[in-house]
Formats: sequence, C-alpha cells, structure tokens
Amino acid sequence: MTKKILLSTTLACFAFASGAAQAEDTVFVGHLADMSGPTAFVGKPYADGVRDALAYINAHGGIDGTKLEYETIDYAYKVPQAIASYKKWLSRKNMVAMQGWGTADTEALISFAAKDKTPIFSASYSGHLTDPQGKNPNTTKPAPYNFFYGASYSDACRGLVQWAADDWKAKGGKGKPKFTHIGANHPFPNAPKEACAEYATELGFDVQPSVVISMKPGDFKAQCLSLKSSGTNYGYIGNLGGSVQSLIKSCDTVGTDIQFMSNIWGGDKLVFKAAGEGVKNYIFPTMTPFWTDDVPGMKLVREISKMSDSTGKEERLHHYIRGVCSTYFMKESMEWAKAHGGITGENVKKGMYVHKDWVPKGLEGVCLAATWTPEDHRGINQVNIYKGNYNHGDIKVEKVNQVTLERRVDWLGY
Amino acid sequence: MSSLAMRPCGDFRTSYKADNTIFETKTIRLVTFLVIALACAAPLVLDGYFLTLFIQISYLGIAALGLNILVGFTGQISLGHGAFFGFGAFASAWLNTSFNIPVVFCIPLAGFLTMGVGMMFGMPAARIKGLYLAIATLAAQFIIQDFFGRAEWFTGGASGAMAAPVSLFGFDFDTDMSFYFIALFALVFMYIWGCNLMRSRDGRAFVAVRDHYLSAEIMGVKLNKYRLLSFGISSFYAGIGGALYAHYLGYVSSEGFTILMSIQFLAMVIIGGLGSIKGTLMGVVFMVLLPEVLEGMVGLMKYTDYGNLPMVTDGLAYIKEMAIGLVIILFLIFEPEGLAHRWGQIKNYWKCYPFAY
Repeated sequence: MTKKILLSTTLACFAFASGAAQAEDTVFVGHLADMSGPTAFVGKPYADGVRDALAYINAHGGIDGTKLEYETIDYAYKVPQAIASYKKWLSRKNMVAMQGWGTADTEALISFAAKDKTPIFSASYSGHLTDPQGKNPNTTKPAPYNFFYGASYSDACRGLVQWAADDWKAKGGKGKPKFTHIGANHPFPNAPKEACAEYATELGFDVQPSVVISMKPGDFKAQCLSLKSSGTNYGYIGNLGGSVQSLIKSCDTVGTDIQFMSNIWGGDKLVFKAAGEGVKNYIFPTMTPFWTDDVPGMKLVREISKMSDSTGKEERLHHYIRGVCSTYFMKESMEWAKAHGGITGENVKKGMYVHKDWVPKGLEGVCLAATWTPEDHRGINQVNIYKGNYNHGDIKVEKVNQVTLERRVDWLGY
Repeated sequence: MSSLAMRPCGDFRTSYKADNTIFETKTIRLVTFLVIALACAAPLVLDGYFLTLFIQISYLGIAALGLNILVGFTGQISLGHGAFFGFGAFASAWLNTSFNIPVVFCIPLAGFLTMGVGMMFGMPAARIKGLYLAIATLAAQFIIQDFFGRAEWFTGGASGAMAAPVSLFGFDFDTDMSFYFIALFALVFMYIWGCNLMRSRDGRAFVAVRDHYLSAEIMGVKLNKYRLLSFGISSFYAGIGGALYAHYLGYVSSEGFTILMSIQFLAMVIIGGLGSIKGTLMGVVFMVLLPEVLEGMVGLMKYTDYGNLPMVTDGLAYIKEMAIGLVIILFLIFEPEGLAHRWGQIKNYWKCYPFAY
C-alpha cells in the first residue's frame, strides 16, 4: 500500500514537473483594458482587438512555437488597480510585455516599466511618450519602454491643421483662418493643445483662446455661442465621442459655421450614427482603413475578428483594428527577440528597432509602415484624414487626404 | 489599566491617565509591536504584488485618516479630499524639482502646503454646516482639479510632473521593497500621531464640536478655530498621503484626482467606521483588497473551460464593478458603524463567552 502511494506520488510529481516544463514554453503578456470605466466607449472595441489578436496568435502557432499566456484585466480607468495588476503580472507571471490603455495608467507606469525593462504598448498617444531619452527640453519624463501604434495626439493634430490650411486655400478663403482648440481641461484633450497651436500659428492661422467643454455629454450651446462670436473657422475637438455628439448638436442649434476636426478617439461610425443629421463633413484622423475597405490585410483582420464573433458579421470600428496592429507589432518584435536571445522585455524592445518602414506580415494595407529607433519613438508619422457624413442614416466615410509629417527634432516628445 | 493583560469585563477606568492611554491593555500593546515587527520582516517573504498593495494601503490610509479626523471626529464634511491628495502629490514634486529640496523634506512640506490650501477652502466651514459645507467642498474639488489643468508651472499641465524617488544618504528608495519601509514608517508615524491627537486637548475639542457644538461653545471651545484646524489637519494628512503616492510612482498626472477619488475616501472611512482610527485602516484595507479579491475570483473563473470567453470575462468585469457598489450599500444598511464597530462586537462576544451578556 505504502509502495503504491509512493509510486503514485512520484508519478504525480513527474507529471507536474513535465507540466511545468511545458509551461516554460509560454511567455506572459498583460492586458489592461477599460471596459466599464469612463473611457469604455472606445476602450471596449480597442480591447477586443487586442484580445482577439492575442487569441489568434496562440491559435496559429504562437511566437514561433511559444504560446502567449495572457490575462485581460478591466481596471475601469483606476490607477491603483492598474499598478496592482502590473505588479502582480510582473512578480508572479514574469510578464515580458504589456498591452496598456489610457493616459492615467500609462503615465503612472512609465518609471516602473523603465526600471523593470518591460515594454508597454499603450493606446495613450501623448506626444511626450515619444521621447525615450528625454532629449527635448519639453519632455518631463523620458519613456524608454513605452510604445504605441499611431501618430501622437500632437502629430495627428498637426496633420489636421495642415489639411485645414490646404482646405482654406482650396475654398478660396481670404485672410487668416481662425483655429480653436475645444476640449475638457484634462490631460488627454490638452495633450496636443500647445504643440498644435504653435504649428497652426506657423501655418498662418489666427489661434483663438481654447474653449472648454466637459468630457461628459451635455448642453454646450454657451460654448458654441462663444465659438460663433469668435468667428472660428476650424475647431479641433480633443474629447471622446459622447461630448463630440453633444457639441455637434448644440452648435447646429446655435447655427455656427465651423469645420470640426476631432482626435482619433472622437470620430468613428458609431459617433456619426448617434449624432445623426447634425454631422456634416466631419473631419477625423485614422491610422487604419475601415472594416469595409478592400485592402489585402483586411482578410487577416476578419479572421482575427472571428475569435470572438464566430459569424464574422460584426462590423468592427477602426479602434479595434488599431488594437490588432498594436498587438501584431509586439508579436513581430517578440519573434525577433526569440531568435536573438529569448523573449525578454529588453529583447522585445530591441526587436522594435530592427526594421524600418515596417508592416506586420499579413496586415499589409491595414497597419501603416512604422519605424521606431532608440532615440525616437514616433513610430508613425503619417495621418490619414477622413470625412464623415450621416446622409439620412447611410453613414458615409471617405478619405480626403493623407499627411506625412516631418520628423522634426523640436517636435520629438512634444 | 494598561498594566492588565486582558480586558476586564466592564469599564474600570479610575484615572485620567487610564482613560487617555493609547493601548488599553498589555496584550494590545504587545500585539501592536509584534505586528509592526512582523510588518518590518514582511518583504522577506512577500512579492512585489503584495508590497504594492501594502504601499497603496499606506498612502491611501494616511489620507483617509485625515478625512476621518474631519468627518468622523469633528463632524464636518469634505467632498474634495481627492483633490487635496492630488495637491500634496504635485506640491511635493514641485518643491523637489523647482527648489531642489531633498524629497524627505518635500513630503512634510507638501503636507503643510496642502494644509494651507485646505484651510483656505475650509474657511467657509466656520460659517456653514451640513449640506452647504458639502457643496462648498465639492466646489473645492472642481476648482483644484481645474487648477491642475491650468497651472503648468506647478503641475506640468498635460505632460504631468516628475517626482524623484525618496533618497536618503545617497540611497534611492525606488524599488517596491525599499519604498515599503518608507510607507510603513509613514503609516505608523501618522497613525500614532493621529491617536495622540485624539487624546490631546485639541482632539477632545474636535469631538466636542461634533457631539454638540452649542455645548462645546458654552464650555469655551472656539468653534471657528477648531473647525478650521480640523480642515487643516485633514488636508495635512491628505498632502502627506499624496506626496508618498507621487514619489512612489515617480510621476504625477492630474487624471486620477477626480471626484471619484474623493468619494472613495469617504467610502473608506464609512466602511471602516466614522470616528475610529483603527477603523480607518480597516476600511482602507477593505477597499484596496476588495477589487483585487474580486479580480482573483474572476481570474479563477478564467481557468475553467468555458470561462475564458470574452463574453464571460467581460460579464464578470461588470459584475466586479457592481459588486464593489453593492458591498458599499450593504455596509451602509447592515453595518452603518463600520468594521471597527463589528470588531468591537466580536471582542465583546468572546469576552463574555459563553454568556450572551
């Protein structure tokens, strides 16, 4: 009897050990998402993109055989929970990289990521995250382990301003066009404010004092009246979809004649659907094509989408596709890391610098060509500008321009 | 009384000294020292995750104690505590970067700066009470939050402010383990200070103001002075908590210091027990651990075969958020006097065991 127990225990130990040996061939990727907090409006589709991409990678061989172990935590935009999750992943799961989300958590984790050598791929596109070495005097804190897929908020706004300058000329406008920044007094809308205003002045705009509207939807007629009285021609909206809808409706009631332009989170088909007839020639940037666009890489995106929607019929927003791109850039840098000394945070970071004008395999036409260098984390400097219209329920989105921004030294980290 | 090892059944305090003691019995004193000694040794066995949770409990606990002094002991109200917490964080970072003051001095200085701001906003407290005061402090929350967005010289605006790690004799406390000791020291120090404050003349005046302001005034307690002082001390604690938070993260951005944070502080002191120092700590521990425990349960669900589908995990994420709200409501209904009261009842039960009375 005792022998039997001894034998079975030994066998169990071996089974466990071999299980552990098998488990060694996985690496852990943390995924912070806001699915129930204040930014869930766009946080959910983005998180779905990341999660489906991670699941798809695992289902198709992982990172050259290494499976990705991942966990999605909905931190509801609460910084303490984000930090606790990060620490848990790091100390218990040996996290090699993290897919993050908002400004608050990304910025809270900058120092930890740098110290722990763990790359964080966030959806916060603040300009100051692009300066890994703190070269620009405007950079408060160098962010060597922070990456994001897309143009920074500042660069996207610069692209829009450039489009606005051309638009003004094309329309035969005379004199200096007036430009106003509209948004809450909050780090996210404020991130590109100064940088964008400076560039607008450089391009010959008359920059008006910014107009503050709350991040939450509400009645913004008073703000629209002040936009009307200042004679603003181009208004950049730095907020999220909910307040964008309110602003459009309020300004239509007041009767303003402003060309609205929004940041990347403030314009998608859902916003236009909800805002209804008020949306006229609404300008917004994207970093990916749309679900219905016919580009080669969209085939893979549709396959990835099936991980959570087996019918494949659900139309995903462009935020979802951006989540996929962010995950795939991470995937390819992990592949490089595996071939060059193993998947560690440090090697994943190195892997991000290997290629120039780089598009992940299979996502051609979907993800824009990106280049990261140890001195410059402005992966993307291209801004695709789209125009959205409601047209009695038939939401029409068309590309109006594509701006490639210079990698100016004084714009790094700003 | 503190010479006794066990708590007697009944109250036999016969001198002011016995009534004023921090530790009621020898056992309580011994257990307290033992817990502190164990806490000092904890980093040897705990990993980064637990240390982070403890550090969170420390900085939030210090700030929450400030709020309890104001709400629980003085009977005032503040809905702007989160903003004061943020002010402390920015103030400490600003003092360090602008004037090159060593961080160890910046933390108490930030406390004093926050105290000044708190007293400024507490000034209406001398005149108004209850709901009116609640709205006045709510205004403080919004004014300070807006200030964070605009005062670039102070907060760095949209870019946020950098906060250097605590450094002492050339050693940087920039790891979880090293910062844990700073947090532990601050927590013990501020809580002992809080206990002492409540034993002092000023502390008793706070309680008198809370219990019956008219009687207090007749007894010679200056109402205006003590209401304002309470605001000051409360903000001082918030400032210290905020400064620790800043130097732990190394970076401060104004996004976190919203009205939600202020409400969370209120929830902590209500759940822990208004007017109880140990209750404050219990409430903070509860509020910090609750989402983690719920997340752990969600995590366990993910290991089941059908649990790792987005539909299930997303649903659980919502349940997690709702459960936090539900627990707070249940506490307000079934345990309005907080965890400290429950702890007292448990102790009474065992004191009288096996008799009910």
